Amino acid sequence: MPLNVDNIWILDIFGIEVWITETIVNSWIIMAILIALAIFIRIKMRKFKEIPTGFQNLVEAGVEMFHNFAQNTLGEKLLYISPWFFSIFVFIFSSSLFSIFGLRAPTADFATTGAFALATFILMIVLGTRHKKGEYIKSYFEPHFIFFPLNLIGELAKPVSLSFRLFGNMLSGTIILTLYYSLTPIFVQIGIPAFFHAFFDVFFGAIQTYIFVIISQMYVKTAAD
Amino acid sequence: MEALAKAIGLIHIAASIALLNGLLTTFGQAKIVSTAIESIARQPEAADSIRSAMFVGLAMAETSGIYGLLIAIIMLFANPLVNQLVSLIG
Repeated sequence: MPLNVDNIWILDIFGIEVWITETIVNSWIIMAILIALAIFIRIKMRKFKEIPTGFQNLVEAGVEMFHNFAQNTLGEKLLYISPWFFSIFVFIFSSSLFSIFGLRAPTADFATTGAFALATFILMIVLGTRHKKGEYIKSYFEPHFIFFPLNLIGELAKPVSLSFRLFGNMLSGTIILTLYYSLTPIFVQIGIPAFFHAFFDVFFGAIQTYIFVIISQMYVKTAAD
Repeated sequence: MEALAKAIGLIHIAASIALLNGLLTTFGQAKIVSTAIESIARQPEAADSIRSAMFVGLAMAETSGIYGLLIAIIMLFANPLVNQLVSLIG
């Protein structure tokens, strides 16, 4: 597992170089798996009964758990945006699980986390102007219009801190595991790294996913409510 | 060559200084957790909401530690000022 992000091939589109990196390929793999799972659940959904059993129970429990979680943090008015957060949740968690297999997690690259934080930022602006109309723009000039630069910096710091937090946590796990794999002899590389993977990938990944989703929900709620 | 070695040594010292903010970050996080445990012991029925508030607070307090880590990583692996430092020393 090398530390830098590898470049797999370079596309040339009308004189502009487009770099297809390891991160992009890995996130395509995750997207393919998740889309296949979604289609599988959609086909299974035709046979769903009134009283759930087996597989239907699992799916309904997952959706209901996230629905309650979103209802507590977002509130009734913004609940229609919760599927977006559910898809972010599933993608980030499965990409942090991806490094169990010795591959590079897409969240250990600033491109992925920066894109998610940018999406949250755009969501804040769009939902703020949609629900509060002029009041949202006025909130940048509170309490006086001299405070506009301060408010702007405070608002821009939100996606920056959101993306750096996830990126730093995932990258630190990757670095520690890379150091372990490159410094130890081969006979301690069987079995023992499982504990490191369980701690850095599964446990930290779950906590950081939860925190990313709950903090983006809080930001969207404060902007729109 | 000697100038490059000196520059790398200086960069490593600077990265370790940047990581020292972990001391204060850990202290703040310990304070958050100890207060949360105290309030859970006082009101066990509010444990769920206290726990979720504690996680959000921990994440907020962790931000400065993560910034220090990123600064150290950038200084070690992607330092844009190595050439200037080498030409300044040598």
